[in-house]
Amino acid sequence: MKRVLLLLLLLAGGWVWYERQALADFTAILSAYSAKEYCSCRFVMGFDAAYCQAYVRQYLPLSGLEEHTQTREVTARGLGVERHARWHSEHAGCGLLP
Amino acid sequence: MVKTLSGLVLSLVLSSACALGQETWPVPEWSVAPAANSADWRDVQAYAFARRDEHQRDGVRTDALLVIKDGRIVYEHYAAPTTRHTPHLTWSISKSVLATLLGVACREGRFALDDPVARFYPPMQAHPEVRIEDLLHWASGLEWQEDYEYAPLHSSVVAMLYTRGHADMAAYTAARPAAVAPGQRFLYSSGDSNLLAAALRSMVGAERYGQYPWDALFTPLGITSAVWERDASGTLVGSSYLYMSARDLARIGLLMLREGRWQSQQVLAKDWVAFNRTLFAKAVAQPGEANPGGQWWLNQPLPGAGRPWPSAPAETFAALGHWGQALYVLPSENVVIVRFADDRDRRFEHDELLRRVLAAQAGRQP
Repeated sequence: MKRVLLLLLLLAGGWVWYERQALADFTAILSAYSAKEYCSCRFVMGFDAAYCQAYVRQYLPLSGLEEHTQTREVTARGLGVERHARWHSEHAGCGLLP
Repeated sequence: MVKTLSGLVLSLVLSSACALGQETWPVPEWSVAPAANSADWRDVQAYAFARRDEHQRDGVRTDALLVIKDGRIVYEHYAAPTTRHTPHLTWSISKSVLATLLGVACREGRFALDDPVARFYPPMQAHPEVRIEDLLHWASGLEWQEDYEYAPLHSSVVAMLYTRGHADMAAYTAARPAAVAPGQRFLYSSGDSNLLAAALRSMVGAERYGQYPWDALFTPLGITSAVWERDASGTLVGSSYLYMSARDLARIGLLMLREGRWQSQQVLAKDWVAFNRTLFAKAVAQPGEANPGGQWWLNQPLPGAGRPWPSAPAETFAALGHWGQALYVLPSENVVIVRFADDRDRRFEHDELLRRVLAAQAGRQP
């Protein structure tokens, strides 16, 4: 029984190591997606805040989503990662900040 | 006397319009056909605009549906908060509009289809055999996984848009390893489209690039609502981030319907539109999914399979995007259809919408 458990743990550990890059990226998807698409929803498509909050909602919840209406900046936090997006211009819309 | 004279001039103008075949253009605005939105459109409306559940967000969720016949609006409806002024996200319709923009650059002699991409975008020297034509066919041969919600861990498109690739999407794509030789296999890739967007920059010159979509295409067509987002390197996100109103997107459709001509001006060469509409047969048929042409989607069947959308004529072609965005062109019907949507599941079917639109059209004929 113990051997089986050890083998499973080793396999799981091996998978995490093998997928380390993808798993590290994965935690950043939620906040980046939410910041960018919320910014465009609000400041390009021109929809209201309540609609845009529902529009970007995913299965995993965000821990924070704030817009700074004056500067047209958006901050999203989720899975321990914080990302920002900003509206640039009439033609160029929104983009993620580095 | 003045009245009679102006009446005479008016009738002359009108009769000369008749002599030109009475081709209608949305210049400056779309005109609306007398019987638009009549009861004939009931079944279209019922399918496209079923009751929406804003909490579950399931089922067919159309934001905008616009049908143009013979250059006039015959049906138009929006679901709040989208209006006829909303520049709506088109997602991958962007790719086909990018191809149309490239068509202008091609007419201007800025590149040829068989030019190597590396000539215009140096990071592609890692893949010197890939030609512009291969990218237009989504056949760069570069390794790619195009999946959004279903496989986020290994999705190349998610990594490109939101994580490792977001600052320079073309560079991210060019750094992918080759999986097969270019031109040999269709593999849908948003990366291929962003390589085209990056190549366009040196084709037209860095200083003109930002304004080029407007100068070359949008302004001549009277498109005023367009927004095209860029990555941090300044490259247009040609794969995904073009926004415009339904009425403006229909102008692209009308240009394609009329083989690249806008009024008396040949904006795109006819050959270019023919290329967009030529089947790239090195693909595998997927049930219900349109087949690849030159960065547009075709209803032409692949060998051994039926038409992807059996209810529509084989020469039907389209620009298609995530969550149900669509621009359909039906040349034999003289029809252009724009659909914006927020479909979060797979219940919407292109064929069902097209079937109902064609039935509504038939109902209108005496």
